[in-house]
Amino acid sequence: MIDPVLALLIFGLAVVLVAGLLWPDRGLVPRLVRSFGTTERVRLEDTLKHLYKCEYAGRTCSVDSVAGSVAVSRHHALELLGKLEVLELASASAEGFHLTDQGREYALHIVRTHRLLERFLADRTGIEPADWHREAERREHSFSPEETDSLAAQLGHPLYDPHGDPIPTALGELPALTGSPLTALKANDVASIVHLGDEPPEVFEALAAAELSPQMLVRVLEATTGRVRFEAGGRELVLPSVVARAVTVEPLPEADPMQGSNETLASLGAGEGARVLGIHPALQGPQRRRLLDLGLVPGTRVEAELRSAAGDPMAFRVRGALIALRRDQARWILVDRGDPRGSEA
Amino acid sequence: MPTTLSRHRGAPSPQPADLVQLGLQPGKWDTLVALAGNPNTGKSTVFNSLTGLRQHTGNWPGKTVIRAEGTFAYEGKRVKVVDLPGTYSLQAGSADEEVARDFILFGRPDVTVVVVDSTRLERNLNLVLQILEITDRVIVCLNLTDEARRHGFAVDDEALAQQLGVPVIPTVAREKEGIPDLLRAIQRMADGETAARPHRIEKLPAELEAAIAQLIPAIEDAFPGIPNARWVALRLLNADESVEGAVRSGEIWAEGKEEGEEVLEVAATLRWTLSPGFHDRLMEAVFGAAESIARASMIKGLKKAKYDFDLRLDRVLTSRWLGFPLMLAILSGVFWLTIEGANVPSAFLASILVDTLHPALKGLGEAASLPWWLNGFLFDGMYLATAWVVSVMLPPMAIFFPLFTLLEDFGYLPRVAFNLDSLFRRAGAHGKQALTMCMGFGCNAAGVVATRVIDSPRERLVAVITNNFSLCNGRWPTQILIASIFIGALAPAAWAGLLSAAAVVSVALLGIIFMFLTSWLLSRSVLKGEATTFSLELPPYRPPRVLQTLYTSLIDRTLIVLWRAVVFALPAGALIWLVANIPGGSGSLAELFIGWLQPFGVLVGLNGVILLAYVVAIPANEIVIPTILMLTALIAGPAGVGEGAGVMFERGLADTGELLRLGGWTTLTGVNLMLFSLLHNPCSTTLYTIYQETKSWRWTALSALLPLAMGFVIVFLVAQVWRLAG
Repeated sequence: MIDPVLALLIFGLAVVLVAGLLWPDRGLVPRLVRSFGTTERVRLEDTLKHLYKCEYAGRTCSVDSVAGSVAVSRHHALELLGKLEVLELASASAEGFHLTDQGREYALHIVRTHRLLERFLADRTGIEPADWHREAERREHSFSPEETDSLAAQLGHPLYDPHGDPIPTALGELPALTGSPLTALKANDVASIVHLGDEPPEVFEALAAAELSPQMLVRVLEATTGRVRFEAGGRELVLPSVVARAVTVEPLPEADPMQGSNETLASLGAGEGARVLGIHPALQGPQRRRLLDLGLVPGTRVEAELRSAAGDPMAFRVRGALIALRRDQARWILVDRGDPRGSEA
Repeated sequence: MPTTLSRHRGAPSPQPADLVQLGLQPGKWDTLVALAGNPNTGKSTVFNSLTGLRQHTGNWPGKTVIRAEGTFAYEGKRVKVVDLPGTYSLQAGSADEEVARDFILFGRPDVTVVVVDSTRLERNLNLVLQILEITDRVIVCLNLTDEARRHGFAVDDEALAQQLGVPVIPTVAREKEGIPDLLRAIQRMADGETAARPHRIEKLPAELEAAIAQLIPAIEDAFPGIPNARWVALRLLNADESVEGAVRSGEIWAEGKEEGEEVLEVAATLRWTLSPGFHDRLMEAVFGAAESIARASMIKGLKKAKYDFDLRLDRVLTSRWLGFPLMLAILSGVFWLTIEGANVPSAFLASILVDTLHPALKGLGEAASLPWWLNGFLFDGMYLATAWVVSVMLPPMAIFFPLFTLLEDFGYLPRVAFNLDSLFRRAGAHGKQALTMCMGFGCNAAGVVATRVIDSPRERLVAVITNNFSLCNGRWPTQILIASIFIGALAPAAWAGLLSAAAVVSVALLGIIFMFLTSWLLSRSVLKGEATTFSLELPPYRPPRVLQTLYTSLIDRTLIVLWRAVVFALPAGALIWLVANIPGGSGSLAELFIGWLQPFGVLVGLNGVILLAYVVAIPANEIVIPTILMLTALIAGPAGVGEGAGVMFERGLADTGELLRLGGWTTLTGVNLMLFSLLHNPCSTTLYTIYQETKSWRWTALSALLPLAMGFVIVFLVAQVWRLAG
């Protein structure tokens, strides 16, 4: 029989070896897959996408911006741009680099796939918001135009991705960029979020953590240099200007009723009732649909009836049925206690 | 004849191709009835009263997942009823909704009966209104009217019928009240004698109305006479993939010219004119209509029999202080009754099947002068294995499942899920997994089937894959025997029983810990991307129907599970007999295999006999112990016993212990066997069920390999540490 110490040592080594090989993201196998996955074609496509984004935003690309966005050396970036020129997908001028018509078409396909994938990840999977962009970046290069079309059909031809970016149609139609950064608003201004920047990832993570999403209404409470204090989705938030600048908003003339409330279903205690104002726009996909199907539409009267023995979930009386909702779900439902207590729904 | 129904006369009756696709054989009925409804409205009970079948019904939202069908004769007509999955909506957001919607749309039932819970009229009307948009051949079955009355109100069925524009039949399906009326209404509608003027959703947002108004002409142009153009327009604007497909292929309306592509283009352009949240507005409009209809047909202020009895009971059963103790008491009670109650009938069955019938059969075989190998193969192998499985499994299951079903019928189990949900949430699972886990203590295969009540895809998979960590009925005997022999022996005789019981309970608790751990790991690794839609409806308490529950749970769960076990035990018994009796190497095949497995077995603190027993016992865990005993006797036992050896030996505890120690067993072997019996692949019955439920080889393989790998790692580590310490 093998000595137990030796056996444990061999076992330990095997565990370390397997972990080193297969550990998500940092293991040898994921690394290899990634490095083989990032072929020259992928880099060329990323370059095209970057050129397209510059064009859409009305900026001009430089070798430096390409190098930064594709994560390659300046030398390599120059090489990539050269190859695109040979392929007649991009052209160089005195101001910088531009897309040719053919290049724009190619770039739009990638952008369309990317945004559809983000929509897919947001609506149909349980993947965290912070991972949507990265995951879409990884998958967008393996789609043919037909596959992208069928993805679009499967998702019901969505118009916007979860960050508020418009999704180009198969023919490449795209509305013009409008709106201004959140930092441009003054105190008491009310605006609706139209877009959240998804790059750099750190900024988007901060926005995702703040649970902001397109279609949400914001009311600025205080705008100073360096930070913005504002109200959104029933909560008060403070963002540093660097992050707030990535939030594009469209000012609104008047306030929406949803803006009036700071409360969600999660804030009700057992025995308390309220009227539903709406479901937070950030909650999309199957979860939102389920809540709507249960009858949690604006105007519905809801009574918090029971708290589970462990404190969470809570059971609410909704249209005659007793529905248990987790705190995680209840906090997406904005409510108003304003109605007189005990009024019949 | 009312004109609204003429389309069904004119249209070719059920299209064979569609129906075959939907799993129906055309031409076997005169009237096709679809049964739709929200989960937990008593839909299955209505189905049973109509067809006379005994489909299991529980006080659980979401019971019917696989579609059930039944046929009956009514006034000389053959009527086929298809029970659709219970859904809250028909937006085709989940697989269930898609099945239900596609059947109503493409199956073209002659009548769609929508079962509605009177006590939750508003919520249920949401579905009714959605179905009325698709077809006007609808009958509303207003069920549970007795419950509404108990809560102090009633629904005016005539007013409701007037509002909805279709017949409304009040029923109490559990008592078969109103079922004859329902049958008559179905027949009248099928014969085209009912005038239906179905309610249609009106007050839609202006932008949506404008888009619909533009799209309808295109649809009517392509499909002249289509009855639900408005609904199709709405679905196309909502970009419903399967409706798009049906429009493209022309399937949406049999008389179409198949010019669907143009319609889709119009829809695609119109979609840009809509604001992104229009689906919300749509649901708002549907619920708005539901609310006003419900209000107009509600009769309130009747004398309440038991004023908020439910609420008071709920306050106790989910209270902070009493909730958990009561739950533990009730569940322990169920387990205690199962274990205590099963002893006597188990022993009785064993004495008949094993002690009396087995020698009799062997004698009969000899009398018929069967060759020794055939006699052994049939009776020592196949018969004995099956007899053992039946006598060990049947009594506990016949007690456990009905008890469990009674709790389910009463409505207590959803409260358990409600109380335990926060624990499961932290592991990335659903509170209802608490129930499927408990069910797993009876039988893992039944536990896996029970996961159907979990309607969120990710949480359901977690529950399926981790069900094996519930120490099932088939494994308790192994635990108890080994604990009595090896753990009990460590304590003075007076304490032996207590210590071994504690050891078995610890193993079961360890299983629960592993269940949580694995759920946590799964939901954060392989299942990370799966969608989740938590919802848990707490149904009202209903007085359990004891006799019917006993009957259906016996038929439904106990016998089916037992039947599957028998099907798998027969070949296993045959296999055991064969390996023990076919010569190989210097002795039998079994000895050869054991020789191969021995080094690895010893390394992980088990032995070759145990490993071989687990290989041949893949079909059913119950036969592990008899196999181990037989094989040990073959290897180490008194000479000559192996000759023509059968599946087991009937011995006392002390004899068994002696035999095992003779085979080289130590306390470590005992402890590790207990651990390995908890942590190894599910039996083939369960694996087969997992495949049936998930339809995925990937998840089935994961469910088999994950616990097996965990088991080997654990017993290996325990063995090494044990050896270091000792």
